[in-house]
Amino acid sequence: MSAENAALNAPSKGISPKQLFIGPWTIAVFTWRESIRKKTMVGFLILSLLVIFGATVMTSMMQQDTVGSAAAAGPLETQTKLIKDICVSAISIFGALITIFISASVVPSEIENKVIYTVLSKPVRRLQYLIGKFVGVQLTVLLNLVLMGGLFFIALWAREGMPPTLLLWAMLLMFFEFLILSAFTFAISCTSSSSVLPTIAGLFIYITGNLTEYLKDVSVRAEHGTSMEQLVGQLAQILYNILPNLQNFSLKNDIVQGMVNDPPPFEIIPNLIVYSLIFSAIGFCLSYVIFLRKEL
Amino acid sequence: MSTVIHTENLTKTYESAFGGQDVHALKSMSFEVQSGEIFGYLGPNGSGKTTTIKMLLGLIFPTSGKIRILGSEDITSNHIRMNIGYLPEGAYYPDFLRGEEILKYYGQLYGLSGADLRNRIDAVIDLVGMSHARKRLMRGYSKGMRQRIGLAQALISDPKILILDEPTTGLDPIARKEIRDILARLRDEGKTLMISSHELMEVELISNRISIIYEGDMKVHGTIDELLVDREVVVEVTDLDEPGAKQLEERGLTLEDAISGRARVRVPEGMDVYNAIEICRSAGARIGSIAPRRETLEELFVRVVGGASRAKAEKAA
Repeated sequence: MSAENAALNAPSKGISPKQLFIGPWTIAVFTWRESIRKKTMVGFLILSLLVIFGATVMTSMMQQDTVGSAAAAGPLETQTKLIKDICVSAISIFGALITIFISASVVPSEIENKVIYTVLSKPVRRLQYLIGKFVGVQLTVLLNLVLMGGLFFIALWAREGMPPTLLLWAMLLMFFEFLILSAFTFAISCTSSSSVLPTIAGLFIYITGNLTEYLKDVSVRAEHGTSMEQLVGQLAQILYNILPNLQNFSLKNDIVQGMVNDPPPFEIIPNLIVYSLIFSAIGFCLSYVIFLRKEL
Repeated sequence: MSTVIHTENLTKTYESAFGGQDVHALKSMSFEVQSGEIFGYLGPNGSGKTTTIKMLLGLIFPTSGKIRILGSEDITSNHIRMNIGYLPEGAYYPDFLRGEEILKYYGQLYGLSGADLRNRIDAVIDLVGMSHARKRLMRGYSKGMRQRIGLAQALISDPKILILDEPTTGLDPIARKEIRDILARLRDEGKTLMISSHELMEVELISNRISIIYEGDMKVHGTIDELLVDREVVVEVTDLDEPGAKQLEERGLTLEDAISGRARVRVPEGMDVYNAIEICRSAGARIGSIAPRRETLEELFVRVVGGASRAKAEKAA
């Protein structure tokens, strides 16, 4: 019997415990490889890199014009703040858009092009599939953050002459902010066979998650208002309690106002990471509950 | 022969969300697929073929009824999944991957790795005749090549059962023949194949048994030899002129391929063959040959589905 025939006639074996982890990891790597080739994602990434690069170069050119003037120190500081403000905002916004877009599309696109049928007809549990997809999304988000943050890190280091370590902490917190955003967008994507609705929902989560302080404000102001205003206030209070506060994860003010190598607020970082992991776990569990009995 | 797929009163109803009419995609469907056979699962669009297949694979859930695969009702267990290969209709495979990378991905999902995986990839890629293009990117593949890679991914774990949804649809005649030959070879190797298809000629050529379903109902089920019986006699005639042809049609005979005085005359079921010959002679035609003619699967399909469709229209009226 030839090797080929032996392989063809090999007995079908059961699944090994190792496969419980290999399956999701295989799906995660496949998802990552596919995601980094998506035109929309590549477009956002290039745009963000252009913004970071452009802001740094343009303000450097402005800096050269002002060298020699008596008031150079003032504008120099302002320009540095401007660069930091633009670049951190760009990383945050483009990072969020990429996170939403990828999280919203990985499952619906596989339903649409029927790849999911070939995967779930194999010895892959729905939970394993979801874990693989979710991990694949996080790998993609992480890669984007590394690229965007890395470019800005180098530019800022070159400009300031010292490693901007605070930026690394900001990137870390941004990743955990995006983890929450991704988990809930991913959960909504499991209800849909199109990525449009989950993308809109993801944007809604991002915007409201960054505006939860306003919800608190609304609820306080409504305390002594009319009954209608009180009702709105109660609703705002409920939303404030339920929704994750994404603004907590922002170190933008610390970066813009302080020195680039200032120590981060160490006391809140572990809390924020746990906060993110709890919300992300809730989001992921929600996606599993939705997907478990989903008719494909 | 043992039963590898067994369905019992399998029913699928999609309930309307807003008080509309429920959709009965499958109504008490019962059938069996025996080991080592090719089972043709036929029906027009929307008849419930893909719904049945998705239920067999655990992708959707029956409203009621039972499914047993390889004797087990736990059809989503790893043991059952290891023994089923599935090729969906028109599946997409990422353009940035090479043929063998696709197979590596699916092989890993079965827990294959190292030399085992490499051997399986070599074996299936050779089986589907894609050795020459295994390192080519998917974007360079023709439709037939993509379908062959699809078939290879379904075979990567050496499953006992293969479920194929429209495996030859959209392929050119040569690619169709190649896929058909592969399927026949797999049957000869002892695999069980369930094929859902619109390509009736293909199914007729390779299937042992078929089912025809219409609107979720089983209309016909049996072996090809049981179902496609000799229903008619065909008389080949020559020297048939136009008035003669008209005369034959008036007397209830059907002419096929009439050209330059030659024609095939179909004698309908119930008419005496001698009587038909006499009619041909009286019309001035010369008898070339007389032969029984077996109904084709296409004719059976049209008769069954057309009959069901007419019955439904009459009921509605």
